[in-house]
Amino acid sequence: MFLLAAITGRYGEGESSDSALVERFLRKDVSAFEELYDRHSRVVYALVVRILQQGSTAEEVVQDVFLHLWRNAGQYQSSRGPFVPWLLTLARNRALDQLRLKSERQRRREDQAEEIPAIAQSPDYEKALDEKRRAERVRSLMGTLSPPQKKAIEMAYFEGLSHSEIAESLQEPLGTVKSWIRNGLLRLKEGLQTAS
Amino acid sequence: MSEHDQFRELIEAYALGALDANERAALEAHLASGCPECAKALEEARLVVTQLAYLAPPAEPSEMLRARVLRSVRADAASGGSGGGSLPMQAGGAQRTSVPMWLWAGVAALLLVSLYSTWEARKMQQDVAEMNQHAAAELKERKQLEAELTMAKHEAWILTDPSSKKIMIMPSDKSMPMVEAMWHPKMGIYVTAQQMPMPKNNKVLQLWLIPKNGAKPMPSHVFWPDSNGKIGEMVANPPEDMAETKALAITEEPAGGSPQPTSTPMWVGGVS
Repeated sequence: MFLLAAITGRYGEGESSDSALVERFLRKDVSAFEELYDRHSRVVYALVVRILQQGSTAEEVVQDVFLHLWRNAGQYQSSRGPFVPWLLTLARNRALDQLRLKSERQRRREDQAEEIPAIAQSPDYEKALDEKRRAERVRSLMGTLSPPQKKAIEMAYFEGLSHSEIAESLQEPLGTVKSWIRNGLLRLKEGLQTAS
Repeated sequence: MSEHDQFRELIEAYALGALDANERAALEAHLASGCPECAKALEEARLVVTQLAYLAPPAEPSEMLRARVLRSVRADAASGGSGGGSLPMQAGGAQRTSVPMWLWAGVAALLLVSLYSTWEARKMQQDVAEMNQHAAAELKERKQLEAELTMAKHEAWILTDPSSKKIMIMPSDKSMPMVEAMWHPKMGIYVTAQQMPMPKNNKVLQLWLIPKNGAKPMPSHVFWPDSNGKIGEMVANPPEDMAETKALAITEEPAGGSPQPTSTPMWVGGVS
């Protein structure tokens, strides 16, 4: 619970809490959904763009994520964990699914590379502040890892690669990659606990 | 190493989705056997993994996307509330009735008018929702611009008004840059610096007001430099008056700031 408090303690700071909003949203309150969208669409979008490296497809995935959220509200149960990590997991899974489809398509049409469109990067200051702090904290903790260790974790998280795929890509022994990832995540966990 | 320990070592990579198929299957079988320790560790590891999302560079979804999502949700909400009435299409089958043809034509015409009216009303509802959406987005943007403008005016006022006092906040380490503060008795304090190093170990910088009466330092804003090492921090409501303040100090503190300094000030500047 200590870790949970450390990680989730700042969600919704200064506004009505996520849990109250989620409760209203589960009763199909459109205005609650709208507020949840405004509160969390930036981090969801940023994550999906990072995974897909492509703005317009990312928008389709984000739309899919939020519509899925609305249409399957009952799938979220507060007893099984906080809302935002759940939403981020949903978004990551959807984006990685899309990435795998895209890879197959791209293998067939390698010469038709899509142009990456410009992406606006000026989040609303007030609402982005909390996310900014969160991002600073995670970046700072990841900064304490060795560059290849950080790279391996990012490849797994953002590219959906397995231990052996990462080992092959980085030309490193499988055991080394496993240790990098495990020790890196454990250090991140410890850091998040001490940062609270 | 016990079999349980071997599985325990796989939990983090499983939460990250990095296990290869054979290890994943073995761990899932172990979890299905009901190991509470691994189940708890997995929940924690999943929570840690979600934090990696914040490593993604900031990006702003378009207003178009917002409008599309909310339009669909509103349409869903509206249709969900209307129920699913079925159309009376079975009536024209093989069974003959005594209802004359002209009456069926009249019913069909009424039905068409009714369907058209419903479609027209739905369309109008969507148009109104879209317009409201657009207006709300513009209002939000205007409020943001107004807030930025007000902030810029305050900063400009503080920097140019003769009643503002310039305070040089000197570093204890000569290799560090100097921080400058302009304190206006009514508008607040504007703190600026260039080439500031980013605090290490998830620390932040925190401004303190040191009272003249020897009381404890008053905590103020928590901040950190941007990616270019620049600081431009506005303290609109300082916790103490200028006349009552002996000095300004800056320390490094844990994320979120502290109620009392936990480290020696890295910058100090006399006020009065």
